[in-house]
Amino acid sequence: MAKKKLDERGSQSGDNGRNDGDVSSNEDEPNFSDPEDFVDDITDEELLGDVLRQKPKETDGVESVIVVDGVPQVGQDRLEKLQSVINKIFSKFGNIVNTHYPMNEKGQTKGYIFLEYSSPIHAQEAVKVTNNYKLDKQHTFLVNLFTDFSKYEKIPELWKPPEPQTYEGQADLYYYLLEPDAYDQFCVVTAQGQSVQIWQNTQPDPVLVEDRQTWTQTYVKWSPLGTFFTTFHKQGVALWGGPNFTQYKRFSHSAVQFIDYSPCEKYVITYSPQGDVHNPDQKRIIIWDIRTGLEKRSFNHEGPSAWPIFRWSHDDKYFARIGTDVLSIYETPSFGLLEKKSLKISGIRDFSWSPTDNVIAYWVAEDKDVPARVTLLEIPNRNEIRNKNLFNVADCKIHWQKSGDYLCVKVDRYSKVRKEKNETKYSGMYFNFEIFHMREKEVPVDSVESKEPIQAFAWEPVGSKFAIIHGDTPNISVSFYEVRVGQAPLLLKKLEKRACNHLFWSPNGQFIVLAGLGSNGGGSLEFVDTHDFVIMNTTDHYQASDVEWDPTGRFVVTAVSVWKTKVDTGYYMWSFQGKILKRINLEKFAQLLWRPRCPTLLDDKQLKDIKKNLKKYYAQFESKDRMRQTKASKELIEKRSALMEKFSAYRQKRIKEWNEQKSRRLELRNGVDTDELDSDIQNAEEEIVEFFVKEEIIDIE
Amino acid sequence: MKPLILHGHERSITQIKYNREGDLLFSSSKDNKPNVWYSLNGERLGTFNGHQGVVWCIDIDWTTTKFLSGGGDNTLKIWDCETGKTIGTIYTNSSVRACNFSYSGNMAAFANDKALRQQCEIHIIDVRNVDESISQATPILKIPVSDSRVTSLLWGALDETLLTGHENGEIIQWDLQTGKKLNSTKEHDYIINDMQMSKDATMFITASKDHTAKLFDSDNLMLLKTYKTERPVNSAAISPIMEHVVLGGGQDAMDVTTTSTKIGKFDSRFFHLVFEEEFGRVKGHFGPIHSVAFHPDGKGYSSGGEDGYVRVHNFDQSYFEYGFDY
Repeated sequence: MAKKKLDERGSQSGDNGRNDGDVSSNEDEPNFSDPEDFVDDITDEELLGDVLRQKPKETDGVESVIVVDGVPQVGQDRLEKLQSVINKIFSKFGNIVNTHYPMNEKGQTKGYIFLEYSSPIHAQEAVKVTNNYKLDKQHTFLVNLFTDFSKYEKIPELWKPPEPQTYEGQADLYYYLLEPDAYDQFCVVTAQGQSVQIWQNTQPDPVLVEDRQTWTQTYVKWSPLGTFFTTFHKQGVALWGGPNFTQYKRFSHSAVQFIDYSPCEKYVITYSPQGDVHNPDQKRIIIWDIRTGLEKRSFNHEGPSAWPIFRWSHDDKYFARIGTDVLSIYETPSFGLLEKKSLKISGIRDFSWSPTDNVIAYWVAEDKDVPARVTLLEIPNRNEIRNKNLFNVADCKIHWQKSGDYLCVKVDRYSKVRKEKNETKYSGMYFNFEIFHMREKEVPVDSVESKEPIQAFAWEPVGSKFAIIHGDTPNISVSFYEVRVGQAPLLLKKLEKRACNHLFWSPNGQFIVLAGLGSNGGGSLEFVDTHDFVIMNTTDHYQASDVEWDPTGRFVVTAVSVWKTKVDTGYYMWSFQGKILKRINLEKFAQLLWRPRCPTLLDDKQLKDIKKNLKKYYAQFESKDRMRQTKASKELIEKRSALMEKFSAYRQKRIKEWNEQKSRRLELRNGVDTDELDSDIQNAEEEIVEFFVKEEIIDIE
Repeated sequence: MKPLILHGHERSITQIKYNREGDLLFSSSKDNKPNVWYSLNGERLGTFNGHQGVVWCIDIDWTTTKFLSGGGDNTLKIWDCETGKTIGTIYTNSSVRACNFSYSGNMAAFANDKALRQQCEIHIIDVRNVDESISQATPILKIPVSDSRVTSLLWGALDETLLTGHENGEIIQWDLQTGKKLNSTKEHDYIINDMQMSKDATMFITASKDHTAKLFDSDNLMLLKTYKTERPVNSAAISPIMEHVVLGGGQDAMDVTTTSTKIGKFDSRFFHLVFEEEFGRVKGHFGPIHSVAFHPDGKGYSSGGEDGYVRVHNFDQSYFEYGFDY
């Protein structure tokens, strides 16, 4: 082929060649040999590189060959049987184009075979799946790619240490705690994560820290200590942290809707209630280790259940879930059941971990002659430290105080019960609050009774007070109680006829916001100091749906979310005394969350010292605030004067033009000057009109 | 500040206007009788009887001799101000949405709605000597508007141009010599409900359903300022003496079924002309405000609303004393 082409080339280049050709077509064997002085200076590659590249090589197909070891050794008689078995197993991965069964001199197979697929991809797949395939008791396939042999043969004798990689320091995840003025951050989400903003709540005006479009697809969440910012996506959740909110970890769990962090941020649980339609193997609940990003354990959960399904102990050591008549407690880091079995508690209805100790409080419903019961269980030794029997119980709610000093069980009790078509109907309801003094010996229990329906209950996070909203509309009252050692809870104050349905304590206690949220609450707000029960301010944020205290208890945000109402969405910022600081109206505003803080490192004594010397610090902060205020108002005034200057310049020009047109205006109005109201005095007539004066006051509304 | 409440209309107010001197206040409503009042004490001076339906727009010439009204009965009527008698009627094929006397008072412009087989059109007519024959007279100029219909209309300075606000938020400046578009701008997203000139007619303010009012240069349509609210703005006016503007509007009555005055935000809102900062609100109407107007002396303003009332306010002394620091 190459030769012929060469000749053609030759024929074009000279007459001599052509003559040769003419001769050949007629008679004698043509002379194809090169002339004496011909030098072949054209390489084959240059001439037909494209063809050469397709030229089969000796090693072609090597990548598609697999070696199967551990095959039964058989004689000629059973070879056919073996071949059919092998075919059945390996033809699943692709077309087998070639097989080779090596035999020894007796005609027996040697126990290993070679198979060639039509494509290397099939070979790789076959290796992946059939390696360690158990054919029967004696025979397990060991499958390798043929190319692997050469790869491992070529390992150099001398070991070369790998290139050291440069160390990339982890971003400081806690930088936000170093803010000298202790400004807090908060995130603002507008509908469907179209935009997520992180603000630093600097005074007097917040500063935008980060602003990203479509950062999340649904909502966002901070981790409990504020280290990570979580965004939700179709494929899973992403954790962000550090000064620039760089991605820290991703947890792939499709259609994830809920997450729950463990209190110390070691683990995170993701929950995908619907699961993934394309991947039915994916479990509904997955527990991840945040630092390594590895999946620790997964569960499938059927049936409805209140999220979080798994509840963590305060130190991340245990987590538990409730089942029918069982309580399953798991321990970390093994993620196995504590003592390898669940606790059998027949009739268990609900449970809750103490926020500071490894104690579980659970309650068991009534059953025929057995009364309902609230039990405190110590983990891991499963000691029942307290048991309390309760009668005529319809329902219980467990409320731990944040410091773990007290536990309140709100008990809904009935005086009559009727059974109607599998439904139990209670009547004559009354309510008990069972207060457990956790820090006292034997855990004494006090009880407060209320005949009125309870709308809300809330412990003071720090301190010993609790507040309840009770009564029927419109006679809603708010009562404050204090719990004391060795005494029944003391009613401190009852505020009557309030328009509220939610209680929001300041994270540091003492101050509380009474809010009327939702469609019938109207957004009323009342800021109360529970030290002396002074009502600091009564105001409202129409249709407010959320109230959020900042983690230091200095600010309160009330918000109208687009998830609840469509109009007037946005948020208001208040001081803890109820003074309005900012009104932000934001179209499609959805969510505002303060970034949580780690618990303080100061001990009780240091905190006390600071409180005692507050006056000393006070002046310093006061002057700082004042300076900021003056700076801000100065900036505003500068901005205004710049605007005014620009506008005045524009107006000067226009007024000049206007004055120049005066003659033409006069022309249009028959020479009457109407530029000012009183500019045409000589033409004006004074007319005296007498009026009847009748005053009528119409009250509108 | 205690307003005079004028209760002379049976249905919602569509437009209110002072005459040049400010002694009279004209009002029109969805009932068919425009009224004229003494602005000083709120006494009704008279009624213009003759329309068969909604009166959408009114205007008074600078001498307070002629009164113009256009309505849903497909007519534009010209009245003698002194007697309240109709002196001329022009029949159109659709509702008359906007009408205005020119600066000289010799011409008037009006625009009718787009309707079945009827295009939106701007008409310029001669109103020097009006009698019954005007219904047959050919207009000086007829400009067909093919795209978005005209919702408000103003004469430019010196009767040379015409400014129209449109349903799609566009503002067009027309040359009256040629009847051609001179300039246009689209700063609003939705319908422009109202346009009003500043005292010297070098600027005008627009009120739009997109929750904003905007200030434009009336010569080159340059956007000067934007005043933002959370509700549709139906009307806006510029104070003749202070650097203030007033905005009236509120939630559309049909948009909310249980509109309380609180959520509807039916307040008149005062903004600083230059700083675009809101500094005051006046409550009172219990439906959206459809029209606001400053008294020509700047010492008061009036508003008319869906509730059918016209409220005439005289500013307290504190209004004049209040100033911005800059």
